[in-house]
Amino acid sequence: MAMSIKLNNISYSYESDTPLEYQALHQISLEIDDGSYTAIVGHTGSGKSTLLQHFNGLLKPSEGYLSVNGLKIDKDTKNRDLNALRKDVGFIFQFPESQLFEETVIKDIAFAPKNFGMSDQQANEVAKKAAKMVGLSESLFEKSPFELSGGQMRRVAIAGIIAMQPKILILDEPTAGLDPIGRKQIMDLFYKLHQEYKMTIILVTHQMNDVADYADHVIVLEDGKKIADTTPRELFKNKQWIVKHHLSLPQAMEFAFELQAKGINFEKMPLTLSELVDELEKRGIQHE
Amino acid sequence: MNKLLLGRYLNGNSLIHRMDPRSKLMMSFYFICIIFLANNYITYAILLLLALCGIVLSKIKISFFFKGIIPLIWLILFTVALQVFFTPGGHVIWSYGPLTLSKAGIVNGVYVFFRFVLIIVMSTLLTLTTAPLEIADAVEALIKPLRYLKVPVHEIALMLSIALRFVPTLMDETVKIMNAQKSRGVNFGEGSIISRIKAVIPILIPLFVSAFNRAEDLAVAMEARGYRGGDGRTKFRVMKWHLRDTGLIITFIIITILLLIFRNY
Repeated sequence: MAMSIKLNNISYSYESDTPLEYQALHQISLEIDDGSYTAIVGHTGSGKSTLLQHFNGLLKPSEGYLSVNGLKIDKDTKNRDLNALRKDVGFIFQFPESQLFEETVIKDIAFAPKNFGMSDQQANEVAKKAAKMVGLSESLFEKSPFELSGGQMRRVAIAGIIAMQPKILILDEPTAGLDPIGRKQIMDLFYKLHQEYKMTIILVTHQMNDVADYADHVIVLEDGKKIADTTPRELFKNKQWIVKHHLSLPQAMEFAFELQAKGINFEKMPLTLSELVDELEKRGIQHE
Repeated sequence: MNKLLLGRYLNGNSLIHRMDPRSKLMMSFYFICIIFLANNYITYAILLLLALCGIVLSKIKISFFFKGIIPLIWLILFTVALQVFFTPGGHVIWSYGPLTLSKAGIVNGVYVFFRFVLIIVMSTLLTLTTAPLEIADAVEALIKPLRYLKVPVHEIALMLSIALRFVPTLMDETVKIMNAQKSRGVNFGEGSIISRIKAVIPILIPLFVSAFNRAEDLAVAMEARGYRGGDGRTKFRVMKWHLRDTGLIITFIIITILLLIFRNY
């Protein structure tokens, strides 16, 4: 079944019908294809988190409607109908370790699968599998999640969502506060899920390198409005536009622009580090 | 979750906003006392006028004050009904068993209604125009004399302001954790009582853990910056008594005199 997400003119207001009403999203329409890797970027307060919470029905649009997996959600949709949707849409929040509560690591990872109807034994199996995928060693399985280090807790929380075997995975700055090695491992894991299991991935990030390295579709939000909806290559090509909207370029592209200013011309602006190396090698520039 | 009016403060720069929190807090309590002096149309009219002046001077939309009344409307209506049907005396208009509807009863009911509304409006006026930390400062200043009775005034005030400070933080945290657990398939407010109670555990445990972590961080941060209790401690927010505060108290004295004159009118 197609798992695409379609948004049709969605607006969302917090505390609507009170004098404190605040409109966080303004008439957003967009489409996220099945099996794509979409990055959503924008400054703090641009409405990214509000938008994400629509994708699994935590928020319902004040105006407009969206359809996820063929289920139409508008302001009158019943909460009961949304529970089935949440099985297919995994949501990894910012600092997800704050959702841990069970006695042991494995029990916590098995919590969501059990909620969505798996038997204890099945849930235990998928939990163990997910724990191994995120790189938790078996000796930790029976420990309390509160005894672990911050990085390990993050992995437990992420495994808890992966164990649901969702078809769409929503990531809200999943690597904030992790060390560089942990960051890379986690981001590579998500990419592997995308490649091997054809999971649709929606990533909110401030790291333009991640956008360049992993995403095939990028959406830019500003003040609750969609201001770009394109591919990373198209987005970063236009340096003036990036500067005007106070975004930054991926490192490789930034470097390439600097080289260009010094007289080295590129046929195709390199987006990632490996593309940059390839382009430079073509010109016979070897690193020493 | 955000329907709670407790501590809901609206930033502003009106005359009422700028008043000293001590005078506002004292006069809010005083108002609740003198409201019992009112016993006829004129005296209630005086108090209504006072409340109206307060609302106008605060420059806050009147709809906010109605929002404060709505959660208590059933309590008010119940009390009013008791007054209306069980006040003896006066001309009986209608009766059924122990219930009698008399003119005195209706008048009493109307008075009780206005008494409730006035008290709510005045306390809402206090919380809308005074930041929670200002109220905590005012409480500290007003209970200061108790330190001669060996009451730990500073510690009580510190606990109060920390508690007030963390109400919104913990509410945000609760919403966040609820969202995370909903995404993991927890259904709140559905199913049997037992499953509903079970659904609370995945919220309460993370909430406690994060509250304890926060408390520890806060304690470390305070000690790192040399906090060691209230002795000789100066204030960042210094409260200043202005002419307008004296004016507020004089207004209340005049109102009290007017009430005393007109209640026997």
